[in-house]
Amino acid sequence: MGNALKITGLFKSFKSEFLRKNIEILKGISLSVEEGEIFGYLGPNGAGKTTTLKCILGLIFPDKGEIEILGLPYLSLKAKARIGFLPENPYFYDYLTASEFLRFYCQLHQIKKADIEEKTSTLLSLVGLEKSSSLQLRKFSKGMLQRIGLAQALLNEPELVLLDEPLGGLDPLGRKEIRDIIVRLKEEGKTVFLSSHILQDIEMVCDRVAIIVSGQIINQGRLHDLISQKILFTETTISGIKEEELKKYGECVSSYGGRTLIKITDEKKVEKILELVHTKKAKIHSLVPRTESLEDLFVGTVKQE
Amino acid sequence: MKITAIALNTFKEAIRDRILYLLLFFAVVSLIFSRLLAILAVGDRVKIIMDVGLASLSLFGALMAILMGTSLVFKEIDKKTIYTLLSKPIHRYQFLLGKFFGLILTLLVMLFFMSLIFIVIVLLHSGRIEWGMFAALAFIFLELCLITAVAMFFSCISSPILSSVFSLSFYLIGHLSWGLETLINKIKPGFGKTIVQVLYTLIPDLENFNFKTEIVHHLPVPPQVFLYATIYGIMYTLFVLTAAMLVFRKRDFV
Amino acid sequence: MKKKFLIILLILSCATFMGLKIKLDNIPRKTVPGSSFIYIPSGKFLKYATFGYSSLMADLIYVWSIQYFSDQKIPNRFDYLDHVFSIIAELDPRYFDPYQIGAIFAVYDARDFETCEKILNRGLEKNPGEWIFPFQAGHYAQMLLKDYKIAQKYFKKTMEIEGSPAMAKRLYANAAFEQTDYKTAMRNWVEVYQMAEAESDERVRKIAANHIYRTQASIDIESINEGLNKYKEQFGHYPEELSKLAASGFLAEIPRDLDGNEYKYDPETGEVKSELWWKR
Repeated sequence: MGNALKITGLFKSFKSEFLRKNIEILKGISLSVEEGEIFGYLGPNGAGKTTTLKCILGLIFPDKGEIEILGLPYLSLKAKARIGFLPENPYFYDYLTASEFLRFYCQLHQIKKADIEEKTSTLLSLVGLEKSSSLQLRKFSKGMLQRIGLAQALLNEPELVLLDEPLGGLDPLGRKEIRDIIVRLKEEGKTVFLSSHILQDIEMVCDRVAIIVSGQIINQGRLHDLISQKILFTETTISGIKEEELKKYGECVSSYGGRTLIKITDEKKVEKILELVHTKKAKIHSLVPRTESLEDLFVGTVKQE
Repeated sequence: MKITAIALNTFKEAIRDRILYLLLFFAVVSLIFSRLLAILAVGDRVKIIMDVGLASLSLFGALMAILMGTSLVFKEIDKKTIYTLLSKPIHRYQFLLGKFFGLILTLLVMLFFMSLIFIVIVLLHSGRIEWGMFAALAFIFLELCLITAVAMFFSCISSPILSSVFSLSFYLIGHLSWGLETLINKIKPGFGKTIVQVLYTLIPDLENFNFKTEIVHHLPVPPQVFLYATIYGIMYTLFVLTAAMLVFRKRDFV
Repeated sequence: MKKKFLIILLILSCATFMGLKIKLDNIPRKTVPGSSFIYIPSGKFLKYATFGYSSLMADLIYVWSIQYFSDQKIPNRFDYLDHVFSIIAELDPRYFDPYQIGAIFAVYDARDFETCEKILNRGLEKNPGEWIFPFQAGHYAQMLLKDYKIAQKYFKKTMEIEGSPAMAKRLYANAAFEQTDYKTAMRNWVEVYQMAEAESDERVRKIAANHIYRTQASIDIESINEGLNKYKEQFGHYPEELSKLAASGFLAEIPRDLDGNEYKYDPETGEVKSELWWKR
């Protein structure tokens, strides 16, 4: 499978107006996104995520570096016709209604007049806005704007969809819906480039991930490869055994109503404590192994820089 | 055509801008005011109404053009509507041209209504229609197109306030360039004079679009003047739009 | 769009419009000379309209008016002369030049003394202490119109203003004289003489003396002529000598001029003359 998106050695600096100093935002970004995968682009605020996206879309011109979209030169209209983009905090024309807005963008994609009606209604129902088709955009809530933004990004049935913080400002139900749409896009064979800092969602959805910090990619690869499967520690709640005895196996975190919560780091000791419970005929109320999460990886990586 | 789609969209947006209606209100007020002025004056009244009327239309039209043109590109950048727009398969110049045509369409509509009121007032006062007025109105529209292009150009390179100032200066300089002509005659021939002459030819001469005197006095205008003035207007507008496109091409939208 | 294409388009369009501009400049456009005059609002209105820049406006209009009224190609350019200068006066009443220039335009170019009067009177009205305005009015009346009645009126006005030159009185006296109002003339010349003597102004004293002589001579000659005419009526011819006139009782006494000399008399024509008064 080819690359849906390939970036090589991207550099971009801006001149600060007051200080006349060159501020380097991107210091040599290289990444590649395979067709049909969901790619997560992670980084703290100010790392350069949005700048990278703007370079890809031709809103900013990089100082150095190459970008290829679906094997085509990234600025060509052919390439643009096959991608969709949802910016962060999208804002659209106040005075247009939802359907007028989508119709306008259809015209920009030169979608045939006959197909426009159908397209707009399909997309509106996809993002859950079919009831608001005649509502003016200025009356849309943030979540609704996010959805219509997603709708316009999918108008042209793009092969590569670029999303900047698509889940921001949504309630949990909304986030689930958008996540479902993203997964469905993958099932349809599309490629998704997802820039976000809501780690749990990325974890749930992405195949591969790149972490950008201060303009450089410090970690890139399959999610499973990056996050080790090893168990960090196990938390268990036991009653019927005195605390002093349990202390041998791990850290007693809390004790209430006869139940003690212990944090055990050594896997072998978990076995032993299970034996003890069995011997003493005590009770186990819960047993939860904790693996490394993306958040741990992220925080650990960022702290290193 | 993509440019048409953007133009129509721009038109829909611009026509809802309340500032336009404020200016329209003032234009109508000044048209009515011209009637009052006629009473205070010593001379033929219809001519006053025509002259003041055409001048108001020109002035308020220019203000509309400047206000809309300067806020236009800025608003798109400020509100970030431009991000999604430019990520679509369109060229940047198509965006600019679309905006331009949308704006002049809006101005055409505004000018149409103002002209209607103007013609009615003249009709009421003199009972006849002067055909020359339509020529004057057509040239006012041409002038407005040029001013719109200028306003858009400045809005691509600076903030709305500065752009408005620059555009207004363009308008004033354009109407006062004949002063430079008088000055040129007094300079001794030589390098300095040539420079000033080149400058004089370069700066806009908006008086070329001003036929008020001839129309108000029923003087004949040689037809070449109409032709040349029209082409002059179109060429200058093209010049400014091209400059805008050049500037807009490589602009970073941070 | 390619950069090259845009740059070429830029240069082409620039060259075209520059060329057109040169062409357009060379086509003379018919202007109606004086068309800027289509409507002139009143001065009061303009004062409000100029937002406090009224004196600047006055300057601009004044400068413009000089060009305008000097342009001989403009037909009927003086129709609104008074109106324009009244506007300037309204905008900046203490600006003296326009009153005087307006008066000059009126009296020399437009040959309209009435307007000249109006303008100068306005100047005086708005600047009561300025004797120059009535003085000029009198001057113009005397020099160009040769209307001594009007001149006398203005010289009187001038005299009444504090600080006016002494010459005003002399001109006043002279104007009276020219209207054969010898009484007034004499009275005033005598006052001038006395004042000149008091101030030891030899030059003016001499002038006054001459005028007194002249005035007296005129008075005398007038009465002599009266007598002569009566004589002629009766006898059909003039007497051979003035003494004959006295003898016949038509004149009580033959006056002598102030120097004590006899008046010259020509019996053929009946003309009586005095010495050339300015050669004394």
